[in-house]
Amino acid sequence: MGLSPRWQTIIRLYGVQAAWTYERMAGIGVGHAAAPMLRDLFRDRDAIERRAAVARSAEYFNSHPYLAGIAVGAVVRSERDGVPGGAISRLRTALSGPLGALGDQLIWTGEVPALMGFTLALLPVVGWWAVAAAVLVHNVMRFRLTRWSLDLGLAHGLGVGAALQQSWLPRAAKDAQRVAAFAVGLALPVTAAWLWLDGIHEGGEVILALVLVGTVLTLAPGTRTRVTGLRFGLALLGAAILLMGGW
Amino acid sequence: MAIVLFRVDDRLVHGQVVIGWGRPMSVDHVVLVDDTVATSPWEQDLYRMAAPDGLRVTFASTVEGIAGLPGWAQAADRTLLLTGDLDTMVALREAHPALVPRINLGGIHHQPGRVEKLPYLYLGPAEVAALERLRHAGASVAAQDLPTAPAVALDDLL
Repeated sequence: MGLSPRWQTIIRLYGVQAAWTYERMAGIGVGHAAAPMLRDLFRDRDAIERRAAVARSAEYFNSHPYLAGIAVGAVVRSERDGVPGGAISRLRTALSGPLGALGDQLIWTGEVPALMGFTLALLPVVGWWAVAAAVLVHNVMRFRLTRWSLDLGLAHGLGVGAALQQSWLPRAAKDAQRVAAFAVGLALPVTAAWLWLDGIHEGGEVILALVLVGTVLTLAPGTRTRVTGLRFGLALLGAAILLMGGW
Repeated sequence: MAIVLFRVDDRLVHGQVVIGWGRPMSVDHVVLVDDTVATSPWEQDLYRMAAPDGLRVTFASTVEGIAGLPGWAQAADRTLLLTGDLDTMVALREAHPALVPRINLGGIHHQPGRVEKLPYLYLGPAEVAALERLRHAGASVAAQDLPTAPAVALDDLL
């Protein structure tokens, strides 16, 4: 038995940038991802209607690739609801900006630097298992995000903007950046100690204390914008360099 | 002048506008003049989501844009005025030539009948005609997707 159209779409969403061009950006990839669900949707309807829907789904589109499923799901749902083609094209255009901005915040300036920071901080303690764990966590998160994105679009169609606003995503995008700042701030002194002080065996308590202080500064209300983990880490790194220089 | 940039971009409110131009120009107000979006609450919801905290977004039809332009130009806000097509920008320019001295072409993307001039700029007969009108009216028009990219003068595009 073959995969359902939804699962075919989820798998195709992993290659949404494979046919990226300046002319349509990720449009062709999005059209390719939507094709199994559109084929299923239009299987008993006129071939001209189906071709028009597939062509619409492959028009110019650009967003963060991990969130493209929201647009694919919303477009398929809108086609199912009989929304006019012009409105569907406008939905794709309108989704590009917020999906790009939210995806950049959540992934490129949030989850990825956070994982890299925690991996660097854990590397002296658990060795290369930290890297394997980071790869695993990233891919599990990506899979869950891809599936959730598609289902959100499918559930709400043209109303996906309001659903997106009320979802966990906007808040998580902001929090992910704070966690990333903390993780990178933590990684700086830990990595410096590992590289320059022959391991962290004798400074374990100090580093643990720094982790606790950094955690409080990251999470405590009122300190979030003024004392980020990154600023804290840079300050510690500067102090360490001064002390090591004998000042 | 409080309107720091007049931009034509068919992707409307997105990262290049609010971050790429908005941050270096200290923009705190984006006015989107677009007849369809002005009457579409679900599109307005989506475009507001693309704006970072602290950046106000106003939606206006062409008629409302023509009426509101003098007020935005005198306001204390640093405003970026955006249209999704050239015809709307031409209408604003023709209504207020002195208030719209320079126009930035930030994104007119591929559609059947359009020819690539730059990776982010595709022009068809309708776009060329609109640009010719702006040129004859004395407007300064240049293509530039981001502040860090080189500006391409209109004479090099037509």
